[in-house]
Amino acid sequence: MFIGLIVVAIAAALGLAIHRRGYVGYPPAPAGLAVLHRGEAAFVDAVAEVLFPGGGALVLSGVEAQLPHYIDRHLAALPRGKRVLIRLLFNTVEHITLLVPGDEPGGRRRFSSLSAASRVSILDRLAHHPNGLFRLLFTALRSVFVFGYLGHPANLHGLGLSPFEIEPVVSDAELLFPRVGGLMSSIDFEEADRTVDRDTVNPPLDPHGERHRAYSRAGRTGR
Amino acid sequence: MSALATDWLTPARERVRVFAQYDHAFEEKCDVVVVGSGPSGSVAAYELAAQGHDVILLEEGPPFTVRDFELDGNLSMTRTMREGGLRMTQGTTMPTMQAIALGGGSLVNSAICVRPPDSVFERWANRFELERTDRATLDPHFDAIADFLGIAPTPDEIQGKRNLLFREGCDALGVSSEPIERNVRGCRGSGECFTGCRSRAKQSMDVSYIPAALREGARVLTSVQVQEIRRSGRRVTGVSGQVVAPFSHGSKKGLSHRFRIEAKAVVLAAGCTATPVLLQHSDDLANASGQVGENLQFHPGVAIAGVFPEVIDPQFGATQGYQSLAFINEGFKLESLWAPPPLLALRFPGIGAELQARFAELPQIAIWDAIASANRSLGRVKKRFRSLDPILEWRLHPDDMAIMRRSLHVIAQLFFAAGAERILPGVGGIPDSFTSIDDAAILDSSAVKASNLVVGGNHVFCTTRMHGDPTRGVVDEDGRCHDLENLYIADTGIFPQCPSVNPMFTGMALARRQAHVLGGRL
Repeated sequence: MFIGLIVVAIAAALGLAIHRRGYVGYPPAPAGLAVLHRGEAAFVDAVAEVLFPGGGALVLSGVEAQLPHYIDRHLAALPRGKRVLIRLLFNTVEHITLLVPGDEPGGRRRFSSLSAASRVSILDRLAHHPNGLFRLLFTALRSVFVFGYLGHPANLHGLGLSPFEIEPVVSDAELLFPRVGGLMSSIDFEEADRTVDRDTVNPPLDPHGERHRAYSRAGRTGR
Repeated sequence: MSALATDWLTPARERVRVFAQYDHAFEEKCDVVVVGSGPSGSVAAYELAAQGHDVILLEEGPPFTVRDFELDGNLSMTRTMREGGLRMTQGTTMPTMQAIALGGGSLVNSAICVRPPDSVFERWANRFELERTDRATLDPHFDAIADFLGIAPTPDEIQGKRNLLFREGCDALGVSSEPIERNVRGCRGSGECFTGCRSRAKQSMDVSYIPAALREGARVLTSVQVQEIRRSGRRVTGVSGQVVAPFSHGSKKGLSHRFRIEAKAVVLAAGCTATPVLLQHSDDLANASGQVGENLQFHPGVAIAGVFPEVIDPQFGATQGYQSLAFINEGFKLESLWAPPPLLALRFPGIGAELQARFAELPQIAIWDAIASANRSLGRVKKRFRSLDPILEWRLHPDDMAIMRRSLHVIAQLFFAAGAERILPGVGGIPDSFTSIDDAAILDSSAVKASNLVVGGNHVFCTTRMHGDPTRGVVDEDGRCHDLENLYIADTGIFPQCPSVNPMFTGMALARRQAHVLGGRL
């Protein structure tokens, strides 16, 4: 009876500790997230802040690029299995401090609650860790973030690497098929609307010509 | 607009079905059902329809219009690629992709059309007991497809500086190079082949062979997932499966109405990784040889970024405009390359301001790659429990690793010969960048380990290989399964070995020949 009580007490304490470490104390999640919970959103911002700090060579910082929203959209579009893997990756690095602590008192707290200097130090140690699994964690994590950060329209436009402005064309595909998810009756075009056929001769684009308007207009918040 | 020009559209549309139209289970009958609308399947469907046969072309993905193209490379992959673009091999870990869209990979590839050198066909003939699979036999098919798709060398006007620098590097080293032949008409040099051509200059199957097949009377059913090939004795009787919602990635929630199609012959063109899985799920069909899913080969690819002293406007130009076949006999082919910048930047080292500084160099950067003829690196495709996604097991052979090291060093030589001030090899365990070819000599040494190499494998072959001996291959030279009278395979799975060059054109030529043979047998 006594041993049973002790086991229950230990289990309860353990559960409380896990709950506290995994869920308590995170700021509210930004509005409009479909997949990421508030802890994951906080983690994404914490990584973005140190991977892509303000004052760098690009237009936006990682925080300004609103990566929780981009990553949330990416996760929502992925198959469930891949989504689970990426969330597992986030949660693993959030708690990797148990194995790779930050350089400060209380360095085993969650990654997202550490100072920027500690977070940089942890990521750097993961990147150069002798164990390949840790390096893989870092590479995978950084890849997810690079897509959202460098791919932000404002950053790409700032580098002169945004897509060219190209007026929508009407080819056989646009004449024969509706937009994805639409009915055949929703096809907007008839043969008279065709702008492209086998004999079309397009002029080359101007390398310094107009860029996609959505990119050239993108500001610090726009995607 | 003449009446002749407009008359085709209404009946052609009536032969198309898209996801929103399916509201109940259905059955169809036809002469030939073609499973998969990639380059090989579309060619087969068109050629058979043009011969007057009643053809149904099935595609699991949806059709895309230009307004459906997603410019963000990452999000584009979640829509156009199976497994959201995150498919990986096991063994030697390597990303590999397979498209899921009407037109298959042609919608999101860089339109490269290269005929393999004679030596490849000689190797195939000698080792796989093939008598009619040589350049002379296939050239009429290559020629017809080239004419149909407007395949031609990439002109200088749309090369862009990053492609022309590749030529300069080759010229400076005395290495032969040539503009890449591509299936495009009126390319404008937007450099966005991988997310879908907004100019519709690329002659992907959805703007070329599939409309032509519809004009010839074929029916095209999109958003249908074939789950089983039906069999009776030594003949197949058709296929069955379920309607699948766009972008549902094969989840149960995305599957709805059942369908069944009866046909006199079935052509599987679902792709080198999907076709064997479909056969395995169909009671291990066509596998008396035990070769279904075996012999998996890739062209593993490596790339290096070169930083030039001035801005080279890399966004402009054909996605892949120049190549060198000078090292084919050493086992690799060299190409220039562009892709959505975030994808290219994944290889950049560092974090924080250092990483951002690398990003800022992108306007001065060109990327050149090598694809290796990795004939010794083998693997297999296995079915996954309750899924049509494959398990891909594959290991890079040490001898093929040596080819890749050598190719890295040659790319480095090209960059410095072209005037690059630095190169970023993107290889772990060695310095992040090199400023001279002497320093870069380490690339061709054992310091470059497979585990530290960023390798991609997007050309896939051999999982239902062609072989003259029925005990050692799955299909004969006409693509017909040795075990069955009327089941054909028309994708790169039938290649007996890797072709050493980009495979789309060869796959289409084999499919065209096959369609002519099959048409005569119906």
